[in-house]
Amino acid sequence: MTSRRNMADFPDRKLSKDAQLRQSINQKLIENGERDRLKELLRTKLIECGWKDQMKAHCKEIIRQKGLEHVTVEELVTEITPRGRALVPDSVKKELLQRIRTFLAQNSNF
Amino acid sequence: MEGLAQDIFAELIDDVCLGLCFEVHRSAKCGFFFLDDVDAESMQEFEIVDKAGVDIFGQVYNQCKNRDCECPNCGRTIAAARFAPHLEKCLGMGRNSSRLANRRLANSNNSSLNKSESDPEDNDDINDNDWSYSSEKKAKKRKADKNPNSPRRAKSLKHKNGEIGSGISDIMKQCGVISEHTKKMCTRSHRCPQHTDDQRRASALETEEVDVDGYDGVENTSYEPSCLWDATSDTSPTDSVSSKNSESPPQPPISCGYDGCGISAKDSVSHGVADDADPEGTTSSDSKKNKKSHIQCSPIPAAQTGMVACSGKKKKRPPTPGSSP
Repeated sequence: MTSRRNMADFPDRKLSKDAQLRQSINQKLIENGERDRLKELLRTKLIECGWKDQMKAHCKEIIRQKGLEHVTVEELVTEITPRGRALVPDSVKKELLQRIRTFLAQNSNF
Repeated sequence: MEGLAQDIFAELIDDVCLGLCFEVHRSAKCGFFFLDDVDAESMQEFEIVDKAGVDIFGQVYNQCKNRDCECPNCGRTIAAARFAPHLEKCLGMGRNSSRLANRRLANSNNSSLNKSESDPEDNDDINDNDWSYSSEKKAKKRKADKNPNSPRRAKSLKHKNGEIGSGISDIMKQCGVISEHTKKMCTRSHRCPQHTDDQRRASALETEEVDVDGYDGVENTSYEPSCLWDATSDTSPTDSVSSKNSESPPQPPISCGYDGCGISAKDSVSHGVADDADPEGTTSSDSKKNKKSHIQCSPIPAAQTGMVACSGKKKKRPPTPGSSP
């Protein structure tokens, strides 16, 4: 996997071509509404495969550990996100990647 | 490109996780996150019962169905299935109870009024008024009493015009013209500008169901010979008619309004009936009524004709309107 280059890596410099490309594609993704569609599709698939229930159970454990009063959103996020990424089933991942690639292929030529 | 795709995917996953965290956090803080959890003790206590004759809670059927309720109004114990209709009647609310009450009222009114109408005084009045107003009142009142408060007030209003207990003081002083459109009696005074005296007589006569084409009334011996047509034939065609009519004091308004011509409406049929001999008669729609009545006995207002011809004949039909004496 290539290293991720966040926008934060280029705070003051002029954005490289790569970054420019990313930016433009992201913009297109959003403008098209494709991003929202992809997100909804992902959500539906994750619920269907049971990922959401697993994550909820994990959350319960965390909350029980930490106590209800002290739990904050940030804590939850930092605890849960790595696990969430790991738990995504491959089929879902593959399908979504496929769709993203299709979109990129269609739109990178404009 | 692949890296880009992966990155995009990763961002999407992060968004979903964030959404989940928000949801969980909120439900935890609001207190409904842990509701699904059950412990073993309560699991056993509330376990689903699967026996025969018993529902899933373990209760026996049919226990509640025979419960009796105590009516808060009358205090009686009523079966549950009959409770709602009983309450409706007991409290006096609901559609049927109002209908029943109205019917009862009507019946009681009717029976009490039937007694009063048989008073001798009223009987005299019946005899005197050839318009047989009281009998009409009776008939109409009975009809009205069926549904005094029903939605059919438009119809019963017509009868109310003739009711004893109506707001109008003396019915004989009403105009009394029954409108063709609404079938209602005009309740205005005797001088109501919408109707002429002829109409009033006509309405009165029509309700009388007299054979206006026959000669029955001709043989009436109570006919007063002093029908002074000549003396009063010079009335102006305008509103002096009504004033003339009002001058004849004890006459009911539907009699021949001429001074001295005190023939009541019934007799007035013969008083100058000339439906066929009235070629110059009124041309308005009223004329159809008037033709059947003794229109000729009154000075018809200018709007209708300028003709005044009460032939004043007793047993003969007047030949023509123009040949009045």
